[in-house]
Amino acid sequence: MKRFLNLIPLVVFVILVAVLYSFLTQENEQLESVLIDQSVPEFKLPALENPNNILSKSSVNKLPALINVWATWCIACRIEHPFLMQLKNESTLTVYGLNYKDDRKKALDLLEIEGNPFEFSIFDQQGKLAIDLGVYGAPETFYVDKEGIIRERHVGALTQKVWKEKFEKYLNEDNDV
Amino acid sequence: MFKKSFSLILIAIIYSLASANEPKVIYPFEDSAHEERFLSLLNELRCPKCQGSNLSGSNAPIANDLKREVYRLVKSGKTEEEVKTYLIDRYGNFIVYDPPFRPDTYALWLGPLFIFLITLSIILVILLTRFSSSKGNQ
Amino acid sequence: MIPEIGHIFLISSLVLSLVSGLGSFIFKKELPIRKIALLMFLLVFGSFITLIYSFVVDDFSVAYVAQNSNINLPIYYKFAATWGAHEGSLILWILSMNIWLLAFISFDKNRNTNFSNIVFGVCSLVIFSFLLFTIFTSNPFERILPIPPLNGADLNPSLQDFAFTVHPPLLYFGYSGLLLPFAISISAMLSGQSNKDWASSSRPWTLLACSFLTVGIGLGSWWAYYELGWGGWWFWDPVENAAFVPWLLTVALVHSLIVTENRNLFVNWSLLLSIFAFAASLLGTFLVRSGILTSVHAFALDPERGLFILGIFSFFVLGGLVIFAFKNSTENKTSFYSLNSKEFGLLLNNVLLVVLAVSILFGTLYPLIYEAYTGGKQISVGAPYFEFIIFPFSILLGLLQGIALYLSWGSTKSFNFLTKLILESLSIFLLTLVLLFVLFDELIPASFFTIFIFSWLIVGSLLINFSFKSFSNYLDFINRRMGVLLSHVGMALLVLGVGVVSSYSSEMELILDTGEKIEFLNKDVELLDIKDINGPNFISKTANIKVSDSGRTFNLQTEKRTYFPSGQVTTEAAIDTGIFRDFYISMGDNFKGDSWSFKLQSKPFIRWIWLGALLITLGTFISSVNVLRRKS
Repeated sequence: MKRFLNLIPLVVFVILVAVLYSFLTQENEQLESVLIDQSVPEFKLPALENPNNILSKSSVNKLPALINVWATWCIACRIEHPFLMQLKNESTLTVYGLNYKDDRKKALDLLEIEGNPFEFSIFDQQGKLAIDLGVYGAPETFYVDKEGIIRERHVGALTQKVWKEKFEKYLNEDNDV
Repeated sequence: MFKKSFSLILIAIIYSLASANEPKVIYPFEDSAHEERFLSLLNELRCPKCQGSNLSGSNAPIANDLKREVYRLVKSGKTEEEVKTYLIDRYGNFIVYDPPFRPDTYALWLGPLFIFLITLSIILVILLTRFSSSKGNQ
Repeated sequence: MIPEIGHIFLISSLVLSLVSGLGSFIFKKELPIRKIALLMFLLVFGSFITLIYSFVVDDFSVAYVAQNSNINLPIYYKFAATWGAHEGSLILWILSMNIWLLAFISFDKNRNTNFSNIVFGVCSLVIFSFLLFTIFTSNPFERILPIPPLNGADLNPSLQDFAFTVHPPLLYFGYSGLLLPFAISISAMLSGQSNKDWASSSRPWTLLACSFLTVGIGLGSWWAYYELGWGGWWFWDPVENAAFVPWLLTVALVHSLIVTENRNLFVNWSLLLSIFAFAASLLGTFLVRSGILTSVHAFALDPERGLFILGIFSFFVLGGLVIFAFKNSTENKTSFYSLNSKEFGLLLNNVLLVVLAVSILFGTLYPLIYEAYTGGKQISVGAPYFEFIIFPFSILLGLLQGIALYLSWGSTKSFNFLTKLILESLSIFLLTLVLLFVLFDELIPASFFTIFIFSWLIVGSLLINFSFKSFSNYLDFINRRMGVLLSHVGMALLVLGVGVVSSYSSEMELILDTGEKIEFLNKDVELLDIKDINGPNFISKTANIKVSDSGRTFNLQTEKRTYFPSGQVTTEAAIDTGIFRDFYISMGDNFKGDSWSFKLQSKPFIRWIWLGALLITLGTFISSVNVLRRKS
């Protein structure tokens, strides 16, 4: 009996070590989005290109699509820009932009110089739609499937590798049917 | 730049609403219960981008945006629960420092009490059996 | 050249610690452990010195120096930058362990007995494993060749502060000090040393470790308060918890050892607590350096290093617990004690402290557990949870601590003291309320519980109503029990500070223009000007603020600093310290032009928290010294 009791601390700590080990093998650096499997939130914001054009959820109608959160002050956005151009040109995906807390003129100038991968950009100067999407920085990218449901969110620059690992499968699903 | 232009608007509004002698409180409230709720929420909400900081203690852009959002919600009369739910719907449970009390967090909330009661019972049982038998021997 | 010497010293101590560690287990006869311990210390110290030297002379060919220093860094920070990141802080940790070992051997009368040899052996092996970890995965002496950088990256600006020169070393000393009680308990189990002997051997070192841990944690809290710029003093940050848990276990151990030494009881408790406290300190190291936690404290590292530390943790902790499970029972006659005895009181103390420690650890790890077992969903466990959990434990522990000194071994004959204790506590409670009302114009019911516990602890610690033959007898008693009294009174003051500052704080956040004056809590606050100032490695926007407080006028400066190489921005708060309240102003955001937001806060009684911690540090230190002196 005593021997049994004396083994309890050992057993508890073995479990603890196993649990700690499992933490080590996990890799997580970004917040998981709670918007997954929900539709794009309703919004009413002007377009970047034309302030008189008030956009809403129904404006995002060419699906499947990516919604890319970007800004001129965001350095990593410059890194992913070529890949976004590539997606626009080579895939069936539509890329929409969410211009996040930015200066209109600077943003338009940048698109002029670097090219515009976006069908249009939503001008979210106060970050209202961004908050509704659970955005906490730029760049971020959301995959919206052909039913208008958000399936995935990536925080950080969208690279070929990220595309392959996180997003490609949803596009394949959408194209299969 | 973007923030400055918005802040200009905010300051202009505050200026126009307040008399020249009143302090330009950034988040003014008329109802002190609202103010308390606001301050309490800022302490209990987590900045999504920072390394472990609440909204109260952070000046990161997203933290400021969320502060303004909380301000807007509290001012419009929302309760503490409603504000938290609003943010949880967008950012997940990560954003509140107070974990919810749900089946998947029962272990967290009830664990300590459970462990305490079990340990205490074991000890009392050991003591009583040990001393009732040794008392018989003495 | 110099870094290579440091590297060689490290490798030499690696070999020496392994050989002598194993040797002490194999050769049961005389080993010159004092000389070996001294040599190990000198080697590691020498290594440490070469690292400091590299920093002071700006040797950026050493990668670690390049990552953590900069030409423009003031010299005292170059010195302290040695422990600014993972690799160097490990050397500091290893050095601390060596100092503890050397100290133990120097004070140990029973040199070269089997018991002492095994203590030495265990310590050497722990030191060996840390040296192995350092040399193979975290070597601070690695060079950047053939072209060393011309300048370094810089020491993290938040670390460029006085507290950084003292907080980590003192805290590491506390953490690593738990090595000795651990080694002593292992040795006790393997060598069959009598309980009274090993417990009395362990107690002064446990007390000393507790002392360093207390001051280390207290300094961390104080530093966070004035450095982070928003007035908080404890955040339940995972790394803070990682220091709090061993502290709780060490306190439990200190008390458990008293029972083991005096009554030959709680042997298993004392053995297990010795292992648990050490395990907790290793766990802290693991959490901070494995990369699994998000925290301002965490060293940004990779899981592979975490794996190594987990290996060290498993080997020693599980090894110790295996020995525990299979040790011979040294049960002699168990003395009887009733439910109203000091023994039972200390048993409750053990249980409460251990369950609290486990709960805090559980809460800290819970987000990770939750994420792992819900496939990635995230949750935060922060202040609301920990405050909810700690409250009942503090009440129970507080009530217990108040009566503890009145309890007797075996059975307490009379509980007459209770009436007087309650009455006197109530008196002090009411007096404190009066004081608070006079100072702050309000009474806040939420604070009453904590303030009552404070009063209870003061009366209980000072034994105000214990019958003494004369006042000089009482003074004599106080003198002999100075350590205990200081620690327990310190706890009382800490509780008071926490209670008052949690309920009576107030704040206001607003935008001020130059020349503008506002009123905050009966004080006139005027922004005089905002100047641009150049520091040695930063540029600062310094706000000069004039405060008028019922006749007294003083100036405060708060700044926003941008540091050169890194571009990092820090807030330097302006604090008017007072025994009854701190007045705290911090700069917020820049609005248009020179319009800035400021946060004004009043933090009543906050200094009492650190005063309490300081008294606990002193008390445990004095107790430790007294025990060591008594033995020799």
